[in-house]
Amino acid sequence: MGDEAQTTSTTVSKEITSQPNQDELILAQQRQIEKEISDSTTLVGELEPISSLNNEYSSDEVYLDKVKDLGEKYKFIRRTRPDGNCFFRAFSYANIERLLSKKEDYNEFYRISEESKDVLVSLGFQQFTVEDFYDTYMEVLKKLKNIENLDEAHKELHTTFNEQGFSDYMVVYLRLLTSGQLQKDQDFYSCFIEGDRTVTDFCHQEVEPMYKESDHIHIIAACAALNTGVRVIYMDRGTEKSCTAHDLPEGCSPTVHLLYRPGHYDILYL
Amino acid sequence: MAGMSPSERRLQKELMSLIKEPPPGVSVDTNIAEQNLLHWVIHMEGAAGTLYEGERFQLQFKFSNKYPFDSPEVTFIGNNIPVHPHVYSNGHICLSILTDDWSPALSVQSVCLSIVSMLSSCKEKQRPPDNTFYVKTCNKNPKKTKWWYHDDSV
Repeated sequence: MGDEAQTTSTTVSKEITSQPNQDELILAQQRQIEKEISDSTTLVGELEPISSLNNEYSSDEVYLDKVKDLGEKYKFIRRTRPDGNCFFRAFSYANIERLLSKKEDYNEFYRISEESKDVLVSLGFQQFTVEDFYDTYMEVLKKLKNIENLDEAHKELHTTFNEQGFSDYMVVYLRLLTSGQLQKDQDFYSCFIEGDRTVTDFCHQEVEPMYKESDHIHIIAACAALNTGVRVIYMDRGTEKSCTAHDLPEGCSPTVHLLYRPGHYDILYL
Repeated sequence: MAGMSPSERRLQKELMSLIKEPPPGVSVDTNIAEQNLLHWVIHMEGAAGTLYEGERFQLQFKFSNKYPFDSPEVTFIGNNIPVHPHVYSNGHICLSILTDDWSPALSVQSVCLSIVSMLSSCKEKQRPPDNTFYVKTCNKNPKKTKWWYHDDSV
């Protein structure tokens, strides 16, 4: 609450109580918006051609030029639900997806993931909260590992990531891994945090809570945690005709490609 | 633990851990929690060497079936509500981890520790400046308040 005056007279408070409570109205509206988003978008969508983006920008020259440019470099887009978790969901999905066809790399990824719980606990995370998410995360990775047929593995991945119960557990665990990475290398990451927050404060407020949006620093740490690189294609209202690409970490050979439009990430396919 | 929902499984684990290794000055009322896993009452003692030394408080935790994705609803109950700049006289607590900064990696135990530490760092016992207004106009559920976290020092 703000610092409203302490001297509330009875007349004022009567007036106020007879009106609907502002806080409740704001929160109710927020819930309504969230519901509209979740009713209209699946957590992770099907592959769609790049040209499907044209529908969103039918009368917007700046964006249409950029969609055209994007279409020359990429074949498909897979949309994710814009709920603040889109980076983590997209990255986790796309990374597992590309590993499905590379048995050896998948096994290596599986091995590193198996060890990750102990790493997090040694960094001070509570054993049983980490365990909760780790167990589900490993259950999913194991299930996918044991599916021989590639098409079926892809289907299973897609189904899993569209079941809120599993999908959100995957998101939380990647958030925890990212937080662990930031805290492990806090000397390095502290330079990128504005204000007088510590890396640990930042993790508690901006990385671990669900629905908090991701910035460069989240992406770099998540890449380090999963030992891979991402190319982010920026599409915004800037007047240049093409989209800008950023490889994170800089100079990597990216394995996952994401489209960024202000506030949102989707997955791209070459 | 067959037949339990994920939130019940998680709460059962937390309850066991809190019974086995409670933080200093914190104890869970097992009778109430075992009757209904979604409703706990926790007894808390003011820490030695603080303004609340010797005082006893009760905290109520209510969980939804979306826990731990949804934060628990936490309020002070009973006849001794701590007099503290972030605690309203109706038991509502202004603490960011209970709403905006809640994360599924937090737990009942970490919430209790934060509240103990919030009480312990208090320099002067007083109610929030907007107590009268807030208590008259707020919803019964503190999670329906749009909190502004304006001071981290107490």
